[in-house]
Amino acid sequence: MSDHILEVENLSVEFSTYGGNVKAVRGVSFNVNRGQTLAIVGESGCGKSVTVQAIMGIIPMPPGRITGGSAKLNGHELLGLSSKEANKFRGIQIGMIFQDPMTSLNPTMTIGDQIAETLMVHRGKSHSQALKQAVDLLEKTHIPEARKRVKQYPFEFSGGMLQRAMIAQSLACKPSILIADEPTTALDVTIQAQILELMAELQRTENMSIILITHDLAVVARMADEVAVMYAGQIVETGSVDDIFYESSHPYTLGLKSAMPSNTGSREKKLTPINGSPPDLFSPPQGCGYFTRCPYAMRLCDKKQPINFVVRGKQNHRSRCWLQHGDAPEVAAIHQNNSGQSRAD
Amino acid sequence: MLAYTLKRLLAGVITVWFIATATFIAMHMVPGDPLMNDKAVSAEIRKNLEQKYGLDKPVTEQYFIYLGNMLRGDFGISFTQQNRRVNDIIRDHFPVSATLGLLAIFFAATGGVLWGALTAIYRNRMPDIIIMFLVILGISVPSFVFAALGQLMLVNINSMLGYSLIPVAGWGTFAHMLMPSLVLGLGTMAFLTRLMRSSMLEVVNADYIKTARAKGLSPVRIFFRHQLRNAILPVITVLGPSIAAITTGGFVVELVFAIPGLGRYFVQAVQQLDYTVIMGTTVFYGAFLVFMVIIVDILYGFVDPRVRLE
Amino acid sequence: MTSTSISDFYPGVADFARVGTASPVEEISRPSLSYWQDVWIRLKKNSRATISLYIVIALAVFTLLGPLFWQVDPFLQDLNQISQAPSLRKSATLVGAYKRWDGIVLSDFPVEPQEYMESVAAVTGLQTFETATTQQVRLIWDPLTGSAGYNIYRNHRLPEGFNDLGLPLGSTYGANEVSYEDRLSLESRTYYYSIVPTDGYDEYEVYTIIEVRPQMIITVSEAEGRGLISEAEEGNLGQEIRLEFHPFGTDYLGRDMLARLMEGARVSLFIGIVAPLIFVLFGVIYGGCAGYFGGTLDALLMRFADFVVALPFLLFMILFKIAFGIGPGESGIFPMLLALILLAWPATARLVRGQVLQIREQGYIEAAQLLGAKPQYLIFRHIIPNTMGVILVTLTFAVPSAIFTEAFLSFIGMGVAPPTPSWGSMCNEGVKTMLSHPHELIFPAAFISVTVLAFNLLGDGLTEALDSRMRSRE
Ligand SMILES: Nc1ncnc2c1ncn2[C@@H]1O[C@H](COP(=O)(O)OP(=O)(O)OP(=O)(O)O)[C@@H](O)[C@H]1O
Ligand code: SF4
Ligand SMILES: [Mg+2]
Repeated sequence: MSDHILEVENLSVEFSTYGGNVKAVRGVSFNVNRGQTLAIVGESGCGKSVTVQAIMGIIPMPPGRITGGSAKLNGHELLGLSSKEANKFRGIQIGMIFQDPMTSLNPTMTIGDQIAETLMVHRGKSHSQALKQAVDLLEKTHIPEARKRVKQYPFEFSGGMLQRAMIAQSLACKPSILIADEPTTALDVTIQAQILELMAELQRTENMSIILITHDLAVVARMADEVAVMYAGQIVETGSVDDIFYESSHPYTLGLKSAMPSNTGSREKKLTPINGSPPDLFSPPQGCGYFTRCPYAMRLCDKKQPINFVVRGKQNHRSRCWLQHGDAPEVAAIHQNNSGQSRAD
Repeated sequence: MLAYTLKRLLAGVITVWFIATATFIAMHMVPGDPLMNDKAVSAEIRKNLEQKYGLDKPVTEQYFIYLGNMLRGDFGISFTQQNRRVNDIIRDHFPVSATLGLLAIFFAATGGVLWGALTAIYRNRMPDIIIMFLVILGISVPSFVFAALGQLMLVNINSMLGYSLIPVAGWGTFAHMLMPSLVLGLGTMAFLTRLMRSSMLEVVNADYIKTARAKGLSPVRIFFRHQLRNAILPVITVLGPSIAAITTGGFVVELVFAIPGLGRYFVQAVQQLDYTVIMGTTVFYGAFLVFMVIIVDILYGFVDPRVRLE
Repeated sequence: MTSTSISDFYPGVADFARVGTASPVEEISRPSLSYWQDVWIRLKKNSRATISLYIVIALAVFTLLGPLFWQVDPFLQDLNQISQAPSLRKSATLVGAYKRWDGIVLSDFPVEPQEYMESVAAVTGLQTFETATTQQVRLIWDPLTGSAGYNIYRNHRLPEGFNDLGLPLGSTYGANEVSYEDRLSLESRTYYYSIVPTDGYDEYEVYTIIEVRPQMIITVSEAEGRGLISEAEEGNLGQEIRLEFHPFGTDYLGRDMLARLMEGARVSLFIGIVAPLIFVLFGVIYGGCAGYFGGTLDALLMRFADFVVALPFLLFMILFKIAFGIGPGESGIFPMLLALILLAWPATARLVRGQVLQIREQGYIEAAQLLGAKPQYLIFRHIIPNTMGVILVTLTFAVPSAIFTEAFLSFIGMGVAPPTPSWGSMCNEGVKTMLSHPHELIFPAAFISVTVLAFNLLGDGLTEALDSRMRSRE
């Protein structure tokens, strides 16, 4: 058995809309290692959520359409399953939590019933058994007075509590992967830290893999083992967290990093936002999607999609950028180790 | 919940007072002496009425006499029907209207939820297109046209069968009630169908439905346990106002089908300028509608925990 | 991981030339449109809304320009042409005045039979005498031995049996009186006449049927009276005369339906459009004030609006209508307009207030206020443009509901006073003759339905266009 629990290859998703076809995800490939965390980062609208929702089979179709690729969980294909087949792994082998816990739980059902529902459907438990286990799950996610809380409705919970309840719900069947789509974006900072802590803790105790979607590089640094940087529906750079932070070799990743406030970087270093906006996904450019914004852009970049280069011989560190081509001019920021920043520890 | 109910009831009482006042003002704007308009009023009744309503006193005093009578639940005596108390008229004829209205609301609500859910499931496919076309018709065709067409249909069915399967007009048995209440509920049904459809479609895209799918629930379970229940909520909130629409829509249906309801009585009273009956029925209907809305709102609390527990 | 094979592609040195820093100019992929341009384009893409728009335009033309082309007096009664079905242009033959006919009484046939029999045979030899016209139908038949008289019936369709002979026209007394003249409101259509022999009192259960289709005629004096011929033409008996043309038929007083529908459209659409314009405007000002000033004023204003909403709408429409009274000779349009305005404004007021509150809470308004923007600047630059969309939608939906209200009131006889036609009052009149002359109900009802439908679909289209515009701006 490979140590990849999930292998996604060349996944493409389109949406047919009023204005035309949005090519939201264009040939995305990545692997998730057993027991590790893969972080997917990228700016808003780059297709992070669509990617994971396609894997879960919860993209609304229509308007959505998976136009190609495969996603294998332990070697079993996930794409193109009927809902009956998909429900053999959804909620059982893969759990998922969403960005906004306030709207992600059914407002007219008690928290307990919603957690219990999963257990009743997948594990054939009786309502009272399932409810008892829901209490345990809430306790596991450190919700105080869980016994009382199971009988309450979502609107009686705070945002942080709801996200804990969401996590409890997704853990009900002991999944081997947890997909967390911006689990902390809607929460305030202290709560964010608690939720991340909880996830890290549960990963250890339950031995789960996690796909963590975020825009926040600080979260990545803290949680991730592997990182995939996404831009305009493509993954532009993948690598270990160290590769991405210290040896980032894609101009977009560099841009992301310099747009991020860092409490460890040197004081005088200015934050530089990335100018311009991502390309129109109705008709994606024929060359590199970052061309119009890239400070190192070359003539070639506009004409030809860059290929996924291996960076400095490390098979796991890839960069979709022509600068990695042997004939490309040297760019100091990329070809020297860009270790201007030191690591938090 | 109790505090909420009491607050709503108090507001309801104030609203009824406002309705009574508006009725009083409207009736006093009618040009001329109300008693003079109708020569049929005998001298005896006239004297009686003048005494009872203090018509010879100043308007403000009349107003308080009127309010006092209303407060005691005494709506007075009919101008045109000698010695018939308005209370008796209401008691005799309102149950008929209420039965008609209740049946109509029942048809409208069940039909609306059913068709609405169906159209949402078959979104943009044939059943949706057909039902939504009928809905648009239902919203655009006036109720009296439906009433006339319904009656015409009954006439034709009966004459085709050679005997009276369903009575064409009148009141009494369930068969009498069927067509009028269907016709009466039709417009509201169309309206509720639309509401239910859009509410269903909104709920389909709600985050918690995504969650439910990610939990691996079957589509059937998601539909009944998560989607339907939340989608019905907006439909329930408009039931109160729908009752008002159906009640007044009942006037026409009662006229066309010759049903001895209060609505038909009201229209007659207006035509004959029977002031006490007009005022009495207006205030009665107003109060009825106000409290129906309150009752629906309170019932809503039982379905939506967010309201119940606040 | 997939990586495209590089073997098929060898970039040259030139390809790696730098193109400088990120191009500063953003590529504009789509021309930017103004708000209303965009809404208009979206609306035009919605075919149902477009068709509705055309219907509304057609209605406007029908109402405003129709009377120029169809110059028939909608109030002119013609009791000779009551409840005519819609038809193409009709003509009639010009004839002289009616001439009395004494009928046929046989002198050589016994008046009464010698003995009364249990049953007799059916009458034979039934035929028309002279040409049947819309002036008179003359029937003759052979005398029947054993009868003591005959009953004459007329039906619009072929009788299905003895109990279905139709309208009893009359009787003749004596077996020798073998003719009958029918002059009872004849039309140019097929009739079925039946003759039943009697014993002087009771009928024998046998009958004979003849199918007759009277010829449309018009007498000289009538034609002159209706201005169809000039005096010079008086002599041309037998000439074909073109009758008045009623493409939509006539109503129960013989008034031209088309002319009345046009006149009715004026009344219905006047109320349906003017009332919403006024009460929406009032609602906008009222709600705008409440939302803009906020505080106690807002609370007071909205509480009052709540009360008005609680009034049972149609009941109070009726009350106010009688309260404002209509004098003799008035149409009652104005009281209805007033009542509608008094009662219908709160919905708009609530909506606009909500919008204004929402806009006020937006950051940019606060920023503008901090920068010292004047109230009128805020109102005209931010609040009005941003509420325009919902106001337009409200207005579009207010029109059909006002038309409905008018129709409802007129239908129960509380609307415009006769003889002023409105679509609703025409329905009221039409429903009485629904069984025999359905066109009198169907036409005005169809006009109401189509108009309401068009405005509803237009409103839907507008809502959708504005909504998706909002969404795409996010
Ligand atoms: N239901 C849909 N219909 C049409 N287009 C959609 C739909 N869902 C997503 N898209 C398109 O897909 C693209 C990617 O969206 P996605 O939600 O994956 O972004 P994201 O990276 O998750 O962004 P965010 O950080 O804001 O969550 C967007 O540009 C959006 O326009
Ligand atoms: S391929 Fe060219 S444009 Fe794209 S990121 Fe690399 S250097 Fe920049
Ligand atoms: Mg997302």
